[in-house]
Amino acid sequence: MMYTTELLIQTVISGLMVGVLYALMALGITFIYSIVKTINWAMGEFYMIGSYIQFVAVHFLLGPNYWWLAVIISTAGTFLAGYIIEPILIKPMYARPMQRRDDYATVVTIALLLLLRSLAVAIGGPNQYRPETNLPIIWLGPLPQEGARVAASFCAVVALGLFWLVIKKTWVGLALRATAQNRVAAQTSGVDVLRLDATAFAIGVAMAGLAGALLAPLFMVFPTNGAVATVKGFEIIVIGGLGSIPGALIGGLLLGLVESLGTSFISSPYQNAYGFLLVILVLIVKPNGLFGEKVREA
Amino acid sequence: MTAAGSKRGTALIALGLTKHYGGLVANNDVGMRLTSGEVRGLIGPNGAGKTTFVNLVTGVEVPDAGSVRLGDREITGQEPHLIAEAGLVRSFQMARVFGNLTATENLMIPYFASGAREGAAVGVARARELLRLSALEPLADAPANSLSGGQRMLLQTCAGFMIPHLRVYVLDEPFAGINSVVKDTLIDLIMHENSSRGITFLIVSHEMEIIRRMCPLVTVMIAGRVAAEGTLDEVAAREDVITAYLGRTAA
Repeated sequence: MMYTTELLIQTVISGLMVGVLYALMALGITFIYSIVKTINWAMGEFYMIGSYIQFVAVHFLLGPNYWWLAVIISTAGTFLAGYIIEPILIKPMYARPMQRRDDYATVVTIALLLLLRSLAVAIGGPNQYRPETNLPIIWLGPLPQEGARVAASFCAVVALGLFWLVIKKTWVGLALRATAQNRVAAQTSGVDVLRLDATAFAIGVAMAGLAGALLAPLFMVFPTNGAVATVKGFEIIVIGGLGSIPGALIGGLLLGLVESLGTSFISSPYQNAYGFLLVILVLIVKPNGLFGEKVREA
Repeated sequence: MTAAGSKRGTALIALGLTKHYGGLVANNDVGMRLTSGEVRGLIGPNGAGKTTFVNLVTGVEVPDAGSVRLGDREITGQEPHLIAEAGLVRSFQMARVFGNLTATENLMIPYFASGAREGAAVGVARARELLRLSALEPLADAPANSLSGGQRMLLQTCAGFMIPHLRVYVLDEPFAGINSVVKDTLIDLIMHENSSRGITFLIVSHEMEIIRRMCPLVTVMIAGRVAAEGTLDEVAAREDVITAYLGRTAA
């Protein structure tokens, strides 16, 4: 492949644009882990739910002009799903004494993954859908970019900004930061951590739902479309460090960049391999991830 | 502010609290009554069950038998955050502060969590006042992990004072391992909140000089039971208390 400055710039821009969406996915995983101390293996299925709601909303209800309203509905819908599911499946882990919490969480969230996938097949069949988009090609300088892709990245940046505001400036954000640091101390300070768990779980899965809604016109809507998103999310967690919010953000951008550069300048069929090379490299140099502080107990 | 003790009701009453850990009886039929506005000391040799008693009263652990009432409200076995909301809070032997949050943010957590209705501005003003009383004002916006051990204990104690309708405050070994300057600041802070807000205190401590200064009445626990109650000098003169502290062979 010929090297040109234009190609390099375009590659970097598209890498960062997809990286923001990867970061959203990873942030959801890391955020849930930091509060609920549980890895949600069904994260990709909430991505899938978001994409289906987006398709239904755009195709049957609102039309492509109101794609942004559909995105808000999809995000709110996945938030609500998380808020309802958490007290049923995750809360029992803390509400009564349990011997092997990690095992329980793993089994329960994998069961949830299978349930949600099967539901998608039962309702929508194994077909691929694609919500219409009429966003025009956008020219970043001399470089053309798909409108839906630019819109997706822009919305993801806005969502990350909103998340930051909630965490830094609101009372819920303060309670979340305190609980992430010390659950027991937060509880004895009067914070209702069991209810906060549901909020945190819902915020985390809503990030996946938002990513699914934004990427639906680009990567299609089908029952297993969350699998790739989950894999990317966990690659980033390994790169950035579990439980680290900056790690999720920077890891996401880094993965987007590496994939984009590799695809453009080395060979495009190996797009997914570049990320794994990055993972292996990070594991050799910093086994806890770039921002990981401590090894998880037991 | 209502004057302390203008009406000497019962702030807290614990009856027949019992807790087993396997074969060990950590608390055996322990009872205590705190009068509104008093500062009570709770002393006893190591392993006497003082911390277990504190845990049972404040909801950290659920008793096997017995009951706890805060004012006229039954709180036995409730979740700690509900008990805190009702106005009974505790501090821990090891200061539990949120190291990544600033001193002010640390204080805002119990304020908001207790369902304060007066808004953030009132809470921030209250936090400033407490930080001033604890000589922590210059560190108000510093992360709590930059504080010394004694300063953390002050901050942790202040966190309880942030609850607007605080009635009973249980302090578990607040003076352990902190220097004498911080000790005096902490004593002044406690006495200030006692006289200005009429808050009732139960102070678990081994520091007899401080207990003598602060607590007109002390309760002595020995081997999971209440062994004596009275002024420090009265209980310190009792044969069974001396034996428990010094051991049978030494006595």
